[in-house]
Formats: sequence, structure tokens, C-alpha cells
Amino acid sequence: MEKIKQNPFVRKVGFNRVILFCVLILMYAAFSLLVPGFFGKARIMSVMNYVYFLGFLSLGVTFVIATGGIDFSIGPVMFCCGLISGYTMMNKGAPVGVVLILSILIGFLFGVFNGYLVSYWTIPPFIVSMASMNIAKGIAAVYTKTQSVSWPLSTDPANGWFRNLVSFNGFPVGLVIFLLAAFICMVVLNNTRPGRYILCLGSNREAVRLSGVDTKKWEMLAYVICGTLVGIAAIFFVGAYTTVQPGYGDQYNNEAIAGCVMGGTSMAGGLASIGGTVIGVLIISLLQEGILALGFAKDIQLIVTGIIVIVVVYADVMARRRKN
Amino acid sequence: MADAILTMEEIEKSFPGVHALDHVHFDVRRGEVHALMGENGAGKSTLMKVLTGIYTKDYGTITYEGKEVSFNNTREAQDAGIVIVHQELNMIGDLTVAQNIFIGREFMKGFKIDDKKMIEESKKLFDELKIDINPRDKMSDLTVGKQQMCEIAKAISHQAKVIIFDEPSAALTEKEIEDLFTIIRDLREKGMAIVYISHRMDEIKVITDRVTVMRDGGYVGTLITKDCTKEDIINMMVGRVIYEDPKTESKVPKDAPVVLKVEHLNAGRMVQDVSFELRKGEILGFSGLMGAGRTETARALFGADPKTSGDIYINGEKVTINSPQDAVKHGIGYLSEDRKRYGIVVQKTITENSTMATLEKYMSGIFINKSEEKKITEHYIEELATKTPSADQLVVNLSGGNQQKVVIAKWLVRDCDILIFDEPTRGIDVGAKNEIYKLMNRLASEGKSIIMISSEMTEILRMSDRIVVMCEGKKTGELDISEATQEKIMNKATRDIA
Repeated sequence: MEKIKQNPFVRKVGFNRVILFCVLILMYAAFSLLVPGFFGKARIMSVMNYVYFLGFLSLGVTFVIATGGIDFSIGPVMFCCGLISGYTMMNKGAPVGVVLILSILIGFLFGVFNGYLVSYWTIPPFIVSMASMNIAKGIAAVYTKTQSVSWPLSTDPANGWFRNLVSFNGFPVGLVIFLLAAFICMVVLNNTRPGRYILCLGSNREAVRLSGVDTKKWEMLAYVICGTLVGIAAIFFVGAYTTVQPGYGDQYNNEAIAGCVMGGTSMAGGLASIGGTVIGVLIISLLQEGILALGFAKDIQLIVTGIIVIVVVYADVMARRRKN
Repeated sequence: MADAILTMEEIEKSFPGVHALDHVHFDVRRGEVHALMGENGAGKSTLMKVLTGIYTKDYGTITYEGKEVSFNNTREAQDAGIVIVHQELNMIGDLTVAQNIFIGREFMKGFKIDDKKMIEESKKLFDELKIDINPRDKMSDLTVGKQQMCEIAKAISHQAKVIIFDEPSAALTEKEIEDLFTIIRDLREKGMAIVYISHRMDEIKVITDRVTVMRDGGYVGTLITKDCTKEDIINMMVGRVIYEDPKTESKVPKDAPVVLKVEHLNAGRMVQDVSFELRKGEILGFSGLMGAGRTETARALFGADPKTSGDIYINGEKVTINSPQDAVKHGIGYLSEDRKRYGIVVQKTITENSTMATLEKYMSGIFINKSEEKKITEHYIEELATKTPSADQLVVNLSGGNQQKVVIAKWLVRDCDILIFDEPTRGIDVGAKNEIYKLMNRLASEGKSIIMISSEMTEILRMSDRIVVMCEGKKTGELDISEATQEKIMNKATRDIA
């Protein structure tokens, strides 16, 4: 065991990430054994559809959790983006190219809103994001007159092309985009000033402030990055699942946070791993697919993710206590 | 001494590396107010904590009402009738006065709390003490002075026989202090034994019957208050041998340029009209007792806390400092007394901490230039002789002295000309202490200007070129090192008889 831990590759990636990856593989093997026909491309593509949107949510919330904050609005904001931009296209005739940007813009604005209230008005992130979750649901419902919105199919000559972002002739374009985004996030977090300050202030805000760093600005930026990624998540959600309904989206909060914390990002702030988040998202997505394939209702999945969040955060708390 | 209600003899207490109490003797009689005095860290609080069971003693006996006792926690001490009235009040603002007084032992009427009875009982207490407070008032609506009265009432409701006042007057106005004294005298009349911890010399003279002085964890002596002078007490407080050579004269030329001038700085109660100058290459010591407002002055100057008024000049030019960002921009670095909370990010590496204040200089484009960053960090690891296997070490793994060096490196990387060291050697062992001193002297000789806040008299006398003394938020004196003595400093650090 110690030998594996000292391996240079393992040290670089992190021992926990290696374990997590093994869990992922074992889970896949287990589902393949338990469910006839689980093994194969069709299931993987189905899992991937979940990975794309959840992945962007999880990447986003990783930045927020790294500051020691939390965002419970990501799921509903994603739905809000999908609903408003979809409605604008379907009912007001805006071209898809424009509304994709609109979706990202809405996410961005929610990020600005959350971030400003958290860092400049110092309202607890829990409260801010709970409130903006309701606001997002409300705005979307008012704007769409409480109607669900279905995005155009790939056969639509004018607007169907956006689905190529998810998959093109069976090629998982979405995966490429997601991994690219994850790579950029990794670089931002580890090699740029925003990333450095976000991680440091998550660890000890006051020490960073007393070093003459504008902690409010950088903290707010984490929420803005998160919001923007949520806006992108919305595009992949509708690209895979077509229809968005007002009033929903909450369940994805927990899944995104679970994926992120499972990957080694600490709820206490200061520690984050994008690679871990990616594996965490894969595990959550595989799990929900597997649960459905085993013939359980969708609701079982809620129970499972709920338990995962508790177990993973408890493990994080214990690890911290041991260190101190 | 047959009437001593409480006698502590030969009390010993050690913490790892510190002999906190060394054969301390203390006793208090019924109907007496007994002052306990000493510098910061003399062991007063430790002694009281041993008495009330917060710490367990290593050796010694405590005799209370003729029986040897040993309390395991404050609750047991309280039940026996020994109560502390703390400097920080332990009251819950949103509850009423009566609810606070009887918290944890509420009167019950079946399943319901009997608020009426609690109010009646509180009224009785207040009548007895001749205090005018409505028990129905919300605690947070009362002044600090009134809140303190409630603490006292609460103590008495515990059938207290010994009441310990831990710097009770620190937050009170003159009038409130008068009221407090009236109550204390009244309690004394009733035969209660009172221990009074305070730095205020004038109060000691007015209210106490005897004074016990402690120094460096040891017992110095006990005097009858009316037979002694302020000077007697001060001599007992400071009369220690200084082992390290104190500085005898300043090497800073009298005409060295003034790099920092602070005029009429005000920030709350703890910083009142503070003015001083700092010259190039100088170490300016800030001396004073706990709560003198030195850290608050530094924080206000640095922009860490808001200030109400005051002008700051750097190299003769007036500057605005409203945040640490402004201060850092003007070349001021602050090294907090509480490194782990305010100085370093312990879960990050030495490199990340060293460039914290200067990261924008170590960028290539939008990316952090990690090799440059590491180079400068390694340079300062060598320069300051920081003991670490590598620059990538997490700061949490370093010793206190080496952590302090990381904070120093942070400001040197930033090229700050003015450094504020707040208790530079707190929590640092003796060997590393000397190293930090040498480093500070070297920095000063290289033209950096240093403000050093210290509660250790030896440190002040050893390091400073000039000494500013503060007391209760005001600057009470300024001494050149050539004329400074412990007695002079202590005289200015304690409040004079009004």
C-alpha cells in the first residue's frame, strides 16, 4: 500500500483519485455483470448524456466550494437558462446561435448576483443560493407562463444543428468539449491568479486579505465562473434531454455537489481537484444509469445520492479532524 | 490568619516548555478585597484557572473553608461558592436579564419555565445590591456597566462566598466604575471575599485591602495596600533580572528621514488620538499592558480595521489607507501576533505563502510563472535560514519560528519598507527567538523601518531604538532607549491616579 502511495504518478494524481477511479471501474463491472446488456456503447452514450450537463454543474460548483462557500441554485438556474433561452427561440423566433449565448449570459448574471451578495454584502452563501434558487424558478415560470419548453430536434433544418455539440454522427463531441472545459478549469485553478487566490482564501480568508489581496473580488469571481458554467450546462441538458420543465432542477444540486466533494474538494474550502470532480461526475452518472437499469425507480437514486453526500462529506470532516 | 476563607499554597503548574506557576501562594479573607497584580503572562489568570478547576494543578494545596479542595470544573467551584466575573461578559443578548441570571437552573412550574418567579428573584437580588435594573429588560439593551452588574448579581445568586473580578473595569466609564466600587464595598461589608485582578493602579489604591504581586509565574509578595505606594508595586512587578543585554543607545542617526508619520489616529475606544513618527532604519517598540490598544493601532494603521480619523504620511506624503491593499501598496507589511489566523495559510506551501502579496509580479501572461516563483522563495529560504526540506512544503509542517520566517519572506518578496511586527516571538522557542531578533536587527540596518509591538519587557528593552508606551487606547509616553527603564515604562503603562 505504502509503495503504491509513493509511486510518482500516484503522488501527482493523488492517492484518493486513484482509489476513486478504481471504484468507477468496479462499479461499471458490477453493473455489467448484474444487468444483461449493460456493457456496450449504447449505455455508455446514455451515461455520457448525463455526464455532460452534470459535469459542467460540478466544475462550476467546485470553484464555489473551493472558497468555502456553497451554491444550491445551480440546478434550478440551469433550468432557468434552458427555459428562457428555449422559450425565446421557440416562441419569439430567435435563432439558436443567439439563444445559446443567452443561456450562458443568464447563468453568468446569476453568478454575478450570487457572488455580489455573498462577498460584498456578506450574506451567507447558503441563504443567497437558496433565495436565488427560488428566484430562478420564479423568473423561468413567469417568462414561460409555466409551460415546459421543448428544444428543436436534430432534424430541424434551421435550429437543429446545436445538437451536434452533444454528438455528431455518433461521435461524442460533448465529451471532448467537457474534457476541454475541465482542462481549462484545471489550469485556471492551479496556474492563474484567480485560482490561487480562490484556493488560498478558501483556506484562510483573513490571512489573504491582510496580504493586501482583494478577497471580495476573487471570491465573487468564483461564483461568476460557476454561473457561467451553469449556463453552458443548460445547453448540454437540452441537447440531450430536449425538454425543460419550470419548477424543477433541485436534484441536480446534490448530484453536482456530491460529484465535486467525492473528487476531493473540501466543503471547508481551500482544497479542490478538477480531476477528482470529473471522476466524481462519472461515478454519479453511472450510478443513476445503473439504478435505472436495475429496474429501480428514479426515486431510489435520490436516496442513494443523499446518502453519498452525507458519507463523502463525513469522510472529509473526519480527514480534517485527524489532521488537526 | 484564622479568617482566611481560601488559601492556595505552593501551587505548581507546568505546560509543555513553560513553568507557568512556580510555588505560588495566595490567600483571601472574608470581608477583604485582595488585588492580584502582575504583568502580562505573570500567571494571574493561570492561578485563577487552577483555583476554579479549568486547569488541574501539578502540586500544592487549596484550602477552602478549612477543608482541602480540588475542583474538576467551574461548575463544582461555583457550587462551592467560588465565582469568576469575567472581563468578557458571558451573557446572551437576546434573553432578558432574569433569564440570563438563572440560565441553566430555571425555576419550573410543571413543564413551563416560571418566568415570573425568576423576575421576582432577580428583583430581590438587585434590591439587595441596590442596583436599578429591570429584570424584564433585554440584556443587549443594557450598557456594558449594567451587564456587568447582572454578572455580579448572577454570581451572588450562586451563594458565592468568593468572587473573582477579572479586570472588571476595563470596559466601564468612570461613573460605572464608581457604582461597581459601591457594590464591591457593600459585598465586603457582608463578609464576602473578593479577588480583584486589574492593571489600574489607582483602583488598586482605592478599593483593595491587600495586594499580591506575581511575576513570571512566581509569587513575589503581598503588601497591605494602604501602606505601600504605586512605586513599591511597580518595583515588585518588574524587578526581574534581564539576561540578554538591553540596548543602551540607538544607532539610528537623529536626523534619519521620517518614513512614516501617524497623526491623531482614532479607531474606536482602543485607539484614541495616537500620533508617532517612525524613522528609517529604526525599531520603534510599542509597549503596554494587555488591552492597551497597540494591536488595534497597528491594525487601524494597516487598514485591517476601519479608523474614524487620523492622517498618515509616508516619506512626507499624505496617503489614504482604507484597506490592507492600500497599506501594502504603500510598502507597509503587517506580521500579526496570531500567525495561524492572520499571517499564513497553513494548508498551502511556502511558495504560495511567500508570493501571496506579490503574485502579480510572478506572472507570464495570465499564467503564474511557477519556476520564477519558486526561485524567489528559495532565495528567501536561504536568506532567512528557514528550516524546510523544500519550498513545496506545506506551512503547517513548519515550526513557529519558521512559520514566522515565511511571513517575513512574504513582505520581503513584496519589498516592503515598513514592517509591523506584532509580538514577533510569541509561540516561538528560545533559540528561534534569537534568530528572529537578529533578523530584525539586520533588516533595520539594511534600511527597513520596524514597528515592534511586544508585551515582553525584555524584548522591548533589547530591540527598540525608541519606545512608545500605550495605556487604554492612548499614547502615554515616548522614551528613547538611552533613558528607558522597566520602571519608567511600567509607570506609563499603568493608569495614574486621577
